[in-house]
Amino acid sequence: MILKKISLRFIFALFATLFSIYLVFLLNSEGAPRILLNLLTFAGIYGLSAIGLNVHFGWTGLLNFGHASFMGIGAYVTLLLMPHAAGREGVVVTTGLPFIAALTLGIIAAALFGLLLGLPAIRLRGDYLAIVTIAAAEIFRLLVRDLESITGGVYGIINYTENFQKYRPSFIDNFSDNLDFSPSQAWVCLAAWVSILFTILFLKRLSNSPWGRALRAVREDEDAVRAMGKNAVWLKLQSFMLGAGIAGLSGVLLAFNYGSLESTVFIPLLTFYVWAIMILGGVGTITGPIFGSIIFWVIISETDRFAYLLFENANGQQLAGVRFLLVGILIMFLMIFRPSGLLGKKEELLLDVK
Amino acid sequence: MSNNLISVKNLKKSFGGLKAVDVHELLFKKGQLTSIIGPNGAGKTTFFDLISGFQNSDSGKVYLNEKDISNSQPYKIARMGMVRTFQLTKVFDRMTVMENLLFSGSNIDNDSFLNSILKLNSQKLYENNLKDKANEIMNDLNIAHMSNSYARELSGGQKKLLELARAIINEPEILLLDEPLAGVNPKLAEDILSLIKKLSESGITILMVEHNIEAVMKISERIVVLAEGSLIADGEPNEIRTDTNVIEAYLGKDDE
Amino acid sequence: MLDQLGNGLLLGIIISVASVALSLLYGVTRIVNFAHGEIIALGAIATLFFSSPLDYRVLFLEKFSPLGLNFAISCFLAIIICGLFGGLLEVLLFRPLRKNEVGNIAVLVVTIGLSIFVRHLYLLFASGRVQNFPLELQRRQTYLFFDMTPRNFKVLIAGIIVMLIVGLLLTYTRLGKAMRAVRDSEELSSVSGINSDNIILLTWIASSMLAGLAGIFQATINDVRWNMGFLILLLIFAGTVLGGIGTSFGAMVGGLMIGILVQVSVGLPFMEGHVEAKNAVALGIMILILLFRPQGLFGKKERIS
Repeated sequence: MILKKISLRFIFALFATLFSIYLVFLLNSEGAPRILLNLLTFAGIYGLSAIGLNVHFGWTGLLNFGHASFMGIGAYVTLLLMPHAAGREGVVVTTGLPFIAALTLGIIAAALFGLLLGLPAIRLRGDYLAIVTIAAAEIFRLLVRDLESITGGVYGIINYTENFQKYRPSFIDNFSDNLDFSPSQAWVCLAAWVSILFTILFLKRLSNSPWGRALRAVREDEDAVRAMGKNAVWLKLQSFMLGAGIAGLSGVLLAFNYGSLESTVFIPLLTFYVWAIMILGGVGTITGPIFGSIIFWVIISETDRFAYLLFENANGQQLAGVRFLLVGILIMFLMIFRPSGLLGKKEELLLDVK
Repeated sequence: MSNNLISVKNLKKSFGGLKAVDVHELLFKKGQLTSIIGPNGAGKTTFFDLISGFQNSDSGKVYLNEKDISNSQPYKIARMGMVRTFQLTKVFDRMTVMENLLFSGSNIDNDSFLNSILKLNSQKLYENNLKDKANEIMNDLNIAHMSNSYARELSGGQKKLLELARAIINEPEILLLDEPLAGVNPKLAEDILSLIKKLSESGITILMVEHNIEAVMKISERIVVLAEGSLIADGEPNEIRTDTNVIEAYLGKDDE
Repeated sequence: MLDQLGNGLLLGIIISVASVALSLLYGVTRIVNFAHGEIIALGAIATLFFSSPLDYRVLFLEKFSPLGLNFAISCFLAIIICGLFGGLLEVLLFRPLRKNEVGNIAVLVVTIGLSIFVRHLYLLFASGRVQNFPLELQRRQTYLFFDMTPRNFKVLIAGIIVMLIVGLLLTYTRLGKAMRAVRDSEELSSVSGINSDNIILLTWIASSMLAGLAGIFQATINDVRWNMGFLILLLIFAGTVLGGIGTSFGAMVGGLMIGILVQVSVGLPFMEGHVEAKNAVALGIMILILLFRPQGLFGKKERIS
């Protein structure tokens, strides 16, 4: 029974993922556990973000190129509602909401931001939303940078990790002692993957529901949906808010992974990473982003190494550029030759929205 | 005042100088089966679009049950009981026939995000009832054997049937059928025609755009003829058959 | 305020030129080219390459000794290079995609991937440093009612002239009419003897050359950066939306207005100390326009999807 569900595609994706993890061990003779944990943490966070983006693009055909700003809203709102220190002076704020409450509000804020952006653009053609989301992400970046009194600007926010780390279970500390990696990162990693699990279950539940059915119909033919008395625009907006909320959660996790947050974190490049991961994993599949994310991060981190070999004289910024060169090529290549990615089905793609 | 279900007054629509629709007054009584015919480009589908909200008119008014629905949004008009089909069938290709029907028949409360997460028993009950209704309709239309197939696997004629089924599972007050017989083989056309007749007899008001004049003559209670966007004839089939304006419009004027 | 008006006109005319280039391409190919910014940057970077030593630390290009060509010739060559680049993009990338009937959304994402790729190529080869054209500094003078350097004034005039020429060409020449025909229907135009592939290729070349020119203008009044294309792309979108997507005239007017808006907003009270965020104001306005009048000033009313 279960065997029937597991397709060849899935097995291949699983194999590719495991192989790339193995590659990490191969190429890093020392410190492998630490590197692997770092990789898995980023993979988890970005994978979650890509799952949110997939709700936008895969489920609903919406072009969102400002995903980083949803992550950013989630992160900033959550952090600012908890005890933290911000700005150049490091002004300390000792009062705040408990972690779960702040997180919930952060996610809701991200969803509301999605509503705000979606309202003008969703009833129009696809490319409009692309432009609006890019513009909004840019506005977000500029506001975060300039409203220093609120967001800490370029100096950012610090001293917030304790709000989350205090819930860290002791078994993690035991493991990390033995295997030499950071317990606080391990906690974030665990949280990320647990979040992914819950999100996937949630989305599967939704997918098999009347709401999920309605969304699929919108994807097929909006006019027919309207002729049946359903508000296609509102359905799309709801989906937009859902994906935004998921992105908000991933943004919070990213903030806790870094330990400090400032205006150069949630930038367009982040959005492009998530897009590459989503396409790689398979547009429209719920679990695709997971595989895409792990493989993507292995590629990215290992090619950094090759970049050093090739371009001896380049400075740090230029080397980072090689990463993005790859991201660009990857996106193009996938979209042209294998838009269904690892797990996606060709027939499921709706790349023809005019 | 009236038993006019739909009233159209001074409805005008042009596309860049080209007049598509220009109807001074058109009234539709409840329960009537009216066919709208006319040569190609007469503006029939545009007329449908205008009264169902899929296009905005340049001027004029449309009333449904005395309520002004001019330029209202299509989904709102559909909720008021006016459901339409399309010239090119718009079935949901990547969903099964059953899902097509379930979606169409499901009311907006059932579809809501909240309900879909909670998955209460009431929803389960509703869905089961809906499934029964869908099965009944599929049986009536002889497409029950395709229930679990993807809609894209259906033949052209079966797609037309599915579109019809979707429209009626809603139990609409008014049905706007846009060329329900287009591209359908004669036997199937007969079946669809008798279905439409049955629906009309059960009280549904039907407006039908059709090119198949023979079929139109057979079942219509009333025929409206549009040419170049304007009304040129309106009456019973026998009157229309011999109306000179109509004959001219279809065959072209003698001196051309 | 008046000074900012002058700056605004300058920025505006540059955005106009770039917007018309984008609009031209969109009009004929229906592609929203997110890599447009990179073609703009190419104009500036190529000019820099020809006219002065590029100060970079990467790869084999170090072997090229500074070319030090005359600035005007460098500009000319750069524009040719941009045209070639655009032509190559069409022939090698977008034409195959079109022949394989790849959907619009896929193509859009491809242009985004392309822009990421090309932009970071620039980073690699031209470095992340801000560089300038080898032109002497000038003092500002008064023209009409604003101050600007003589060179910038020339840019302004040149931009206006280019706009006029493009406008005339589009409206009255056979080529312009052919472009509009292809836009309206590729099938119909091929039936009437217009080779749409050639028209599209020509459009790509023309659009790219215009974009390169805009890049040269921008670098002249500001500087050359690896991501200068990305920075200006959003403003171009804003200008095109404001003017109305699909109309070249709209793009011109919209670009001009956005440029003025951006610079003038610097003078607004709440912008004290946040001069960098002037772009945000223009972008915010763009979003508002989409909310209330999505067809812009001159565009046709778009149906809901």
